[in-house]
Amino acid sequence: MKLLKEKKNELYEVNKEFLAETLSGSASLHEALSTFVNDKLKRESLEAVIQVEKRCDALKEKYVQVLYRDKRALPFLVEDRYKILMMIDTVNDKMEFFARFLEVYPFKLYKEIKEEFKDLYSACSQAVEELVDCANLIETDFDGAFKKTFEIEERKREARTAKFNLLGKLYKMKDDPTKVYLTSKLVTYMYDIVSWVEETSDYLRGLIIKYPSK
Amino acid sequence: MALEYILIIFLIISIIISFGIGANDETMAPLYGSRILNMKQILILAAIFAIAGALLLGEGVSKSIGDKILLLDYEATGINQNAVVMTILISTAIVLIVSSALGLPISSTHATIGGIIGLGLLLGGGDGVNWSTILEMSMWWIASPIIGFTVTYGVVKLLNKHKLKSLKGFQDFERSENKYSYIILIIICITAFSRAGNDCSNAVGIVVGVGDEINLTLLLIMTGFGLAAGISVLGRIVIKNLGKMTELRPSTAFAVQVPTAAVMLIGTIQKIPLSGSHLLVASLVGLSKASNTPMKKGLWKIIVIWLLTFPIAAILSIILYFPIDFLI
Repeated sequence: MKLLKEKKNELYEVNKEFLAETLSGSASLHEALSTFVNDKLKRESLEAVIQVEKRCDALKEKYVQVLYRDKRALPFLVEDRYKILMMIDTVNDKMEFFARFLEVYPFKLYKEIKEEFKDLYSACSQAVEELVDCANLIETDFDGAFKKTFEIEERKREARTAKFNLLGKLYKMKDDPTKVYLTSKLVTYMYDIVSWVEETSDYLRGLIIKYPSK
Repeated sequence: MALEYILIIFLIISIIISFGIGANDETMAPLYGSRILNMKQILILAAIFAIAGALLLGEGVSKSIGDKILLLDYEATGINQNAVVMTILISTAIVLIVSSALGLPISSTHATIGGIIGLGLLLGGGDGVNWSTILEMSMWWIASPIIGFTVTYGVVKLLNKHKLKSLKGFQDFERSENKYSYIILIIICITAFSRAGNDCSNAVGIVVGVGDEINLTLLLIMTGFGLAAGISVLGRIVIKNLGKMTELRPSTAFAVQVPTAAVMLIGTIQKIPLSGSHLLVASLVGLSKASNTPMKKGLWKIIVIWLLTFPIAAILSIILYFPIDFLI
């Protein structure tokens, strides 16, 4: 029994650590983007995002090992936890991909779209933060986690509005097509993060609905 | 034939019968379905309880087979009672082994009564069978799956309602399910233990009747091993098949097993020959309906084999009676 308890605690601890890393990755990306809009990109923050993704990969492996060992009791819960982990890990992958893209993005951001860009990355950071909250809450508070999923949906709507406002302005610009194209890619990749966060929260909502009546 | 040889033959048949009964023992199915234990662990546990149950509870349990249903005057007609009893048991064992090999849980009571009806008709015609008792029993055979379905449906609904209010998150859910897994494990072990004691009496009875120079303890151990071998060799197919009929987890396995055990207990006290297999399958259907989870395809196969158990056992006992009567 004691051994089982230790295993369970280890699972929760690794999960907490994984989510905390995800949150720090999001914070680093936010920091990098706030410097980027002021034309002083802080590359250390981008590197931090990449390092977070590496640490998250290691934690993911550890989590999977603990899940594998502990699989006997509730396999359906193990499967669901594994899926949540994989989905949140994809958020980390998308943030890392965006960070790498921004690292090689060779231009400064158009002044005309800075406000929309700020709205977009604010929505993105908030969405990731809320997803981490939601993933923590689902362990102890279904109601709280359920409410969070609607907040995440709201962030996605905000991000979508900001994205299309930004693209609307961008596509009217008569500038270097490469810059326009790469900027639109930058925006799309960032929106991809929010979009995936929302998809993950939809999955969590589905689980919350399913579990008590399962 | 010398008594020793007769004894050896009866002993072998007794072990075959216990093997057949063990092969169709589905008691552990909820443990497999809810994945509380894996198949290897289940088989080890089942073997331990089969041997322990046979050894500790089997003594003193000597069943009179078919005395309420068969209306045969053995003395007046000169019918060999030993041959009748052995035919019924062998036909039951064959039906159980074949259905277990197909992974289909059937009622050993139904198989036994099918054999009794077959011999009653063969040896006494229409008057050889107590039809009023059969009619009375058949009402319970119809009622027991309905009871199993209804009780499990109600328990699952109650559990869900309770959970909606009390479970706050994954960790709560996990704690709750873990508690159920311990409870269900204990209940199933007790059921397996008592069932082994009860089942081995069918196999032991025929050997005990042969002579007084039998080491009953050794006999019970052997039948216990027969039950364990039956569960390990063919019973695993039935356990796997039944355990996967619908989505099970510890709490729903509890909802399935407890009504089954309770109804069986009431049936035993009231001397009603209910079928544990029928109750369990009906309970699984009740669970599926209550929790809106799909049933695995193949339920119809089980229902068909239930309906065919009587005629198959009856025909088999008629076929087997003559050679057995000749040999004994």
